[in-house]
Amino acid sequence: MNEKNKAKVMIYNLFLILLALVTIVPFIWMFLSSFAPNSEIVKIGGSFFPTPTTLDNYMNIQEKFDFMRMFLNSLLISIVITAIVIYTSALIGFIFAKFNFRGKSLLFGVILSTMMLPWAVTIIPKYEMMEVFGWMNSYKSLIIPAMTSGFGIYMFRQAIEQISDEMMEAARIDGASDFFIFHRIILPMSRNTISSLAIFQFLWCWEDFLWPYLMINDDSKQLLSVGLRLFNGQYDTDYGGLFAATSISIIPVVVIYLIFQKQFIAGVATGSGK
Amino acid sequence: MQATSKKLQFINLKNITILFVIVYFSIFLIYPIYKAFAGSLHDWNPMIDQYDFVGLDNFKNVLSDKLFWKSMSNTVFFTTFSVFFRIVCGLGLALLIHSKLTRARSFFQGLFYMPTITPIVAVSFVWTWMFNPQFGLINKVFNLDINWLNDTKYALPAIILMTIWKDFGYAAVIFLGGLMSLPEEVFEASNIDGATGWQRFRYITWPLLKPTTLFVAITSLITYFQAYIQILIMTEGGPGTSTYVISYLIYDEAFVNYNFGSASAMSILLFIVIGILTILMFKVTKEREKTI
Repeated sequence: MNEKNKAKVMIYNLFLILLALVTIVPFIWMFLSSFAPNSEIVKIGGSFFPTPTTLDNYMNIQEKFDFMRMFLNSLLISIVITAIVIYTSALIGFIFAKFNFRGKSLLFGVILSTMMLPWAVTIIPKYEMMEVFGWMNSYKSLIIPAMTSGFGIYMFRQAIEQISDEMMEAARIDGASDFFIFHRIILPMSRNTISSLAIFQFLWCWEDFLWPYLMINDDSKQLLSVGLRLFNGQYDTDYGGLFAATSISIIPVVVIYLIFQKQFIAGVATGSGK
Repeated sequence: MQATSKKLQFINLKNITILFVIVYFSIFLIYPIYKAFAGSLHDWNPMIDQYDFVGLDNFKNVLSDKLFWKSMSNTVFFTTFSVFFRIVCGLGLALLIHSKLTRARSFFQGLFYMPTITPIVAVSFVWTWMFNPQFGLINKVFNLDINWLNDTKYALPAIILMTIWKDFGYAAVIFLGGLMSLPEEVFEASNIDGATGWQRFRYITWPLLKPTTLFVAITSLITYFQAYIQILIMTEGGPGTSTYVISYLIYDEAFVNYNFGSASAMSILLFIVIGILTILMFKVTKEREKTI
């Protein structure tokens, strides 16, 4: 029995390590390649991983292409949208969780349906709308249509429903307004939900491709995900530069994840999947 | 006097929020949906300012278009395999991490989450190079000589492989959440009864995890039916039309050819297909539960 268990432990752990390798190797390969000269990367019959020897790729992409500019544009837009979405989702989720009004379930149904609606259905009318509003090539077109999230509202409603009514009643008796209750009681108690939504929403903004591609024409206003493709189109044989640009584009999401990770895992474990 | 205080009472957090929701969703959701339906009945090209009513012609043309059906069958192929392997790999990994026999769980949990939090544009580029026949890692490691993304046989499977790699970690985290919420007593009882690992999985874990599996299946289905970025970056539908999927075709028709009318018609067909499939999945699982 003991021998059998030992073998089992080994097989399980081996499987886990194998899967971990499959997951991590592409990242390592990309990262090492970003420090290798082009000749080393495309060398036929070279080793699995190119030898990292140079920082040139990182220097070059900035010179050839205003990479930092796009990086900062993306960072700004993603942070602004994420902050707005967290606030609106929490507020709307709070109203749906703790108040009753006519047409509540209909309105909530409409909000939920946004999650099932393919992007393809609304993107053409929205494109036309932005043209009519004259918001093309301005950040208004990126931020204003993205101010709410059906997914976020749903998450916050679920979480805020768990908060006891008595606490709110007690605050009301003390003369607290709904405004006060929301900002001073509900928001601080929703830390896990805020973390989960922050990670998802930031990633969605950061990786969004088609909408900024359609809206922004000016290279100086362009976002990073579109920039990566433009760079690839112009310098499609500069693999070292592409590896470097891609490596940099991954860093912010990893940082956001590391910041919110702890609450996030707790949030996933209790929130979704039910 | 009373009138003004009533007015003031009306202006509170609740009503302002509800008003905001109604106005905002009317502009950015209801109107666009209406406009997509209306547009699908028109010959609509913004480049030449054309917007002429043509009835159901767009739908007729789309449904008799070979590329549309090719894209649909590619989409079904892509979605079926991606959903299936995402669930199998995700569940397998969750069981491995959950079992008491493995170590460093939180480390692994963080690690397997890496691909999920990596932007899909970046992942698509990395895998384009991984599949490169000259210097790509895949051919080197497995000692193969395949031009993955330029071969009609291998291009779509290659994209599926990359998609599973990106997404199975997220499925694992959700399954892990499901596993952790299961009552401990059931497992203890089965341990005493001497059930084997497989029996325990087949008759206890799997049925109890059904809601989680359904959740993963439906959200994956909706996502994969609309996936297009990996196609846009890695193959642009090629070689030939071998990796055209429905969402890429809609993008192509709308923003390359500017046929907004027929693109709207396709998007509505896609919406209907996704709706039907979601309802079917719910129904099938409910029926099964009844028979058990």
